[in-house]
Amino acid sequence: MKFSTDSFREVLDSIIRNRSRSLLTGFGVFWGIFMLMLLSGGGGGLKELLQGNFEGFASNAGMVFAGTTSKPYKGFSKGRNWNLEYSDVDRLRSMMPELSTVTPTIAFWGRSVKFGDEVFAQGVLKGIRADYADVEAPKPYYGRFINASDVAQERKVCYIGKKVYTALFPGGGDPCGKRLEIDGTYYSIIGVDWKDEGGMIINGSATESVYIPLTQLRRAYNTGNVVQMVCVVAMDGYAMSELTPRLREIISRNHYIDPTDEQSMFVLNTQMIFGIVDNLFKGINFLIWLIGIGTLLAGVVGVSNIMMVAVKERTVEIGIRRAIGATPGQILGQILQESVILTLSSGLMGIVVSVGILSVVELAMTTDGILKAAFQVPFGVAVLAALLLTVLGVAAGAMPAARAMKIKPVDAMRDE
Amino acid sequence: MALIELRDINKTYDNGQPLHVLKGIDLDIGRGEFVSIMGASGSGKSTLLNILGILDNYDTGTYHLDGKLIKNLSEVQAASYRNRMIGFIFQSFNLIGYKNAVENVELPLYYQGVGRRERHEKAMAFLEKLGIADWASHFPNEMSGGQKQRVAIARALITSPQIILADEPTGALDSVTSVEVMHLLKELNAQEGITIVVVTHESGVANETDKIIHIRDGVIGRIEENRQHNAWGGPIIK
Repeated sequence: MKFSTDSFREVLDSIIRNRSRSLLTGFGVFWGIFMLMLLSGGGGGLKELLQGNFEGFASNAGMVFAGTTSKPYKGFSKGRNWNLEYSDVDRLRSMMPELSTVTPTIAFWGRSVKFGDEVFAQGVLKGIRADYADVEAPKPYYGRFINASDVAQERKVCYIGKKVYTALFPGGGDPCGKRLEIDGTYYSIIGVDWKDEGGMIINGSATESVYIPLTQLRRAYNTGNVVQMVCVVAMDGYAMSELTPRLREIISRNHYIDPTDEQSMFVLNTQMIFGIVDNLFKGINFLIWLIGIGTLLAGVVGVSNIMMVAVKERTVEIGIRRAIGATPGQILGQILQESVILTLSSGLMGIVVSVGILSVVELAMTTDGILKAAFQVPFGVAVLAALLLTVLGVAAGAMPAARAMKIKPVDAMRDE
Repeated sequence: MALIELRDINKTYDNGQPLHVLKGIDLDIGRGEFVSIMGASGSGKSTLLNILGILDNYDTGTYHLDGKLIKNLSEVQAASYRNRMIGFIFQSFNLIGYKNAVENVELPLYYQGVGRRERHEKAMAFLEKLGIADWASHFPNEMSGGQKQRVAIARALITSPQIILADEPTGALDSVTSVEVMHLLKELNAQEGITIVVVTHESGVANETDKIIHIRDGVIGRIEENRQHNAWGGPIIK
């Protein structure tokens, strides 16, 4: 079997001239690959959409709040209120090396944020340190996030959420350097965040937040030693849920709290939530590939089946070809090539159509020129699919080709 | 040395019950002869033709074609000999339905690896010669029986074979067209000196050839010189 443009044309002729047979044959594969691509693209997009809800959040983080004690301990009665302190942050940092980040935050709700005549009434003022970015990754559209120098020098700067920005600057444009007012204090805007409203809201949505250096907030609002929430991120390889008991114990000891007192503090764990979503999509992905590959295989079996019938139908033709000088190898090559070309071309058609549909979906999902979720199948997957199709084409053609090879030239004269 | 030399050819089909079809065939066919092999159905004439055309094997004996021993060839060798030395004309034309006339004629050259343009030109030349160049781009189902058989003859001729084997070439044609086709074969034999072997059971067709070989029950019976074409008292095809 050798491949040349001439034999390619011979094969192409036989495919094109037997149009309806070829179309019917190819449709199965077309549909298979079409479904596979569409499902996998759609599934990926859905996953991204859902994950967009958790956008920017560390998947292995914990948030610690102080609660009310429910057990008496070391002379203290139950029902005592207590506060997290900066010393808790330092202790966690030194005693739990498994935590990559330990960062304190304080948030004030319902602040009105003013710029000129524009007011955003429901702002959340958040005092943070620069490493808060490890917990909830910022997505700056203009400017930058709060950095360590801002915190160290107690600068009056702020990084604002998308909703705050659109309310204060309805005309758009870069607001960096402009100063907005909260509770009588003016802060220079250094950045605008572009995250959308998500499903994961810790201490108020990021879109409604105004982030300022925690040191500045501490001084302006005189919060002293009190910390509202401590956020921690576990290092890779450690599960947050396994670290929680020790974390509780360390903080409890610092505040004379019974370490077995579940009510005394709340520890939120993102890992669990992410785990659920992850497993969900593992399941969905498995189903997608099962269905997609099943459909594709059915299509390929269809090709093989129809080629088989076609070979039988073409016994005379193949007999003639053999009588006038075709070798069995040439017949084998012809049938195999027909199969590969049929599978490949109809499969590529399936890829093209599904990519087309997915890009229309993407177009519909795009707002303000920003894509919400990528539905498109990755290029690598498409290439892989094309390779897979070639292999499947050979496999589909193998049996019919073997049968065609057995046809003797005398069959051309015998049949009729 | 004769173009075709058959010595003591035996062939037995074994389909449950052994069937001795050819029982020691000795036959010489010289270059440029126009021969018919005549026999009733079951006489073994088709089997003989298949062996002559290297479409089938024989059990014992020897078959030399143009001095080459044709025995136990590999499929590839057999295909190559068929392609280069033998042109086939079949009863039912056996053109490929989805190829037009000129493409059908080109096909043997395709298997020789001749380039597309060259084979097209050559095929057109042969169609021209057989008077059906106007039908080059027509498909078989758009042509009459006579035209189809002309296309088939052009296909048989295009590789300039040593020998043309025709299996009941007029079997699917009406009497007028039959005469035309036989005259065409005669002309090819007379003018180009091509060796032609026609297998038939029609005495009228056999009468058009120069030599009639009668085969009966797997053995050669009479070999009749028929230069005058009056074996049955003059032309019988009306």
